[in-house]
Amino acid sequence: MRHLPVYILIDTSGSMKGEPIESVKVGLADMVATLRQDPYALETVCISIITFDSDVKQVLPLTELENLQLPEIVTPDSGATHLGQALKMMCDKVEVEVKKGTPEQKGDWRPLLFILTDGKPSDKQEYNKMISRVKALNFASIVGCAAGPKADIAPLQQLTDNVFKLDTMDATSFKRFFVWVSDVIGLGGKSVGTTESLQLPGPPAEVNVVI
Amino acid sequence: MKEKINLALLELLKDSGIQPTKGEFDDFVHRLVNKLWNKITKERMDEILITKNAVEAVPIILPNGRVGEQYHIDVPFIIENVEEYTIIGLDAVGLTFEKNEQGFSISGTAQPEDIKGGDFQLSLQYRCKGMLPEQEAFERKLNLILNPDPRTLWKDIPTPRDIEYFKEDSQMEYVKVEAINDIPRKDIVAASQRGRSHAHEGKPRDDHFKLHYCKDSEWYIIAVADGAGSAKYSREGSLIACETAVEHCVNALTQSDDFDSSIKAYYADKSADDARKAISNFTYNIVGNAALKAHNAIKAEADRKEDARLKDYATTLLLAICKKFEFGWIVASFWVGDGAICVYTNETHSAEMLGKPDEGEFAGQTRFLTMPEIFTDKDFFKRLRFKIYPDFTALMLMTDGVSDPKFETDANLLNPDRWDALWQDLADNGVELTDDNEKSKEQLLEWLNFWDRGNHDDRTIAILY
Repeated sequence: MRHLPVYILIDTSGSMKGEPIESVKVGLADMVATLRQDPYALETVCISIITFDSDVKQVLPLTELENLQLPEIVTPDSGATHLGQALKMMCDKVEVEVKKGTPEQKGDWRPLLFILTDGKPSDKQEYNKMISRVKALNFASIVGCAAGPKADIAPLQQLTDNVFKLDTMDATSFKRFFVWVSDVIGLGGKSVGTTESLQLPGPPAEVNVVI
Repeated sequence: MKEKINLALLELLKDSGIQPTKGEFDDFVHRLVNKLWNKITKERMDEILITKNAVEAVPIILPNGRVGEQYHIDVPFIIENVEEYTIIGLDAVGLTFEKNEQGFSISGTAQPEDIKGGDFQLSLQYRCKGMLPEQEAFERKLNLILNPDPRTLWKDIPTPRDIEYFKEDSQMEYVKVEAINDIPRKDIVAASQRGRSHAHEGKPRDDHFKLHYCKDSEWYIIAVADGAGSAKYSREGSLIACETAVEHCVNALTQSDDFDSSIKAYYADKSADDARKAISNFTYNIVGNAALKAHNAIKAEADRKEDARLKDYATTLLLAICKKFEFGWIVASFWVGDGAICVYTNETHSAEMLGKPDEGEFAGQTRFLTMPEIFTDKDFFKRLRFKIYPDFTALMLMTDGVSDPKFETDANLLNPDRWDALWQDLADNGVELTDDNEKSKEQLLEWLNFWDRGNHDDRTIAILY
């Protein structure tokens, strides 16, 4: 059984506390509910969630959508944004959790990666170190989302061409963003057969493409 | 009553040598009652709080269920001071709650009103020691997720007829080579069905096949192709590939006396270099060139069409030619991409793959006929096969829409047991592969609708038997 692995990295640094993180949680729940109604996603999509602040946690190991129950996501009152550490953990997990094709087993579909942050990596050195490693993992698509006025798009751009900016961090923006993420994931399962990057659907109005 | 208690209290005080005034005594009683009241109330509240915390803390994990299927979970739930409890909200999803020695179970057939399922709120309602009769039961909220049955979610939207390169959603054919003097001759049956993932979105089938039997020279020609799902005109790519490759073979084989005599010479003396060389050249010129012509034909179409690139027509190609000689069957083939070509012999329990599927590190990464480097690659010859078989049960060509669910891995493609299983699967599910049975094309098309989780690609299979 081939899966479509989806890794979602979520910023849980202090500044996300309150409305932003609550909106993200609602967005995630809606996204999962939507994907459950897509037969292809229901049978193939696996999701992992990694949160990062001063601590990095895989709050959800790669889990089939069918068995998935969203974990509690908490934010500390304050704390750094260890996105570099988060990428490192993600790479380690991808190497273990995503099946590569061999004569004895079918490979999974190429994984998708979504990164949501409202700041910039505080562990800049680690972050820079991780860029080439992430790229070598051959993701079908990497999407960076810079949310709010303090989010820095430059580091995300080193990782991917698909960087989007949310001007506000309210429920509506996040909801639209996650609806769009559901579309990308839905597409991921259907876009089969080439080694090219996945063609992303047009972003929603709230999302500004960074050029 | 009150007077009696007061008198008794006064007695007790006097016994301890205390002689309170009326005022002192009233104050004493007031304080005593308040103190005891507060103490006991607090005790009771604490007791309840401890129980409540224990109930909240105990892990209650309800795995997700699936609409229409059996659900059963045993939940350990023994908490000190919980006196009674139940779960409200299960009726709505057709499940029942039952207590047992270790806790409780939830079971039954998950049947919510809406077959799409969703998140269902359940309420664990309980009473515990210290609660007053008039107090309402406490509740802990639980969430039960019921997934829909994916089968109920797939839509079957016809492909719009006005799209470019429209193609029918299914295709089937039977090439009947009638028995002569009651001696059966092999026939070809093939079917191709649009995958559920395409049907769900009203997208066309990308697979294709083409069969031909040369009446005079008695060569069988079979081509099967799988257009890449992500390439926008791959349905046309697979069509051009099959049509062109078969046309080339037909032209080359209608007059095949030279090839036939080389084959006979080769059979007579397999060590003779000339014969080997001749066979090699013929194979190259016929099936190898068929592939190259197919590539070129697709390229010409891509050049002709505005805004189209060669890779928009990305397709695999599995091509086989076959003929019976008095000493056995000749099979020559060309294969690029995934899927499978196999010569299967039931009696000897053997299955020989005519090459190796092109597989990448990740699913869906394969090689295509439309990649120019295929033809310049030094390994191009490995894509060609020529072999003589004494006889066989079936020569099968299929796209990965069939080989993935039926074989799962490349290793299994080499395992004759799995080919036995496929052969049995066809027989068990209504495909009657008996001589001259033209109805088997409908049966094969119907068979292609088999259900396999996560495998909903276009499916095409051709069987020479």
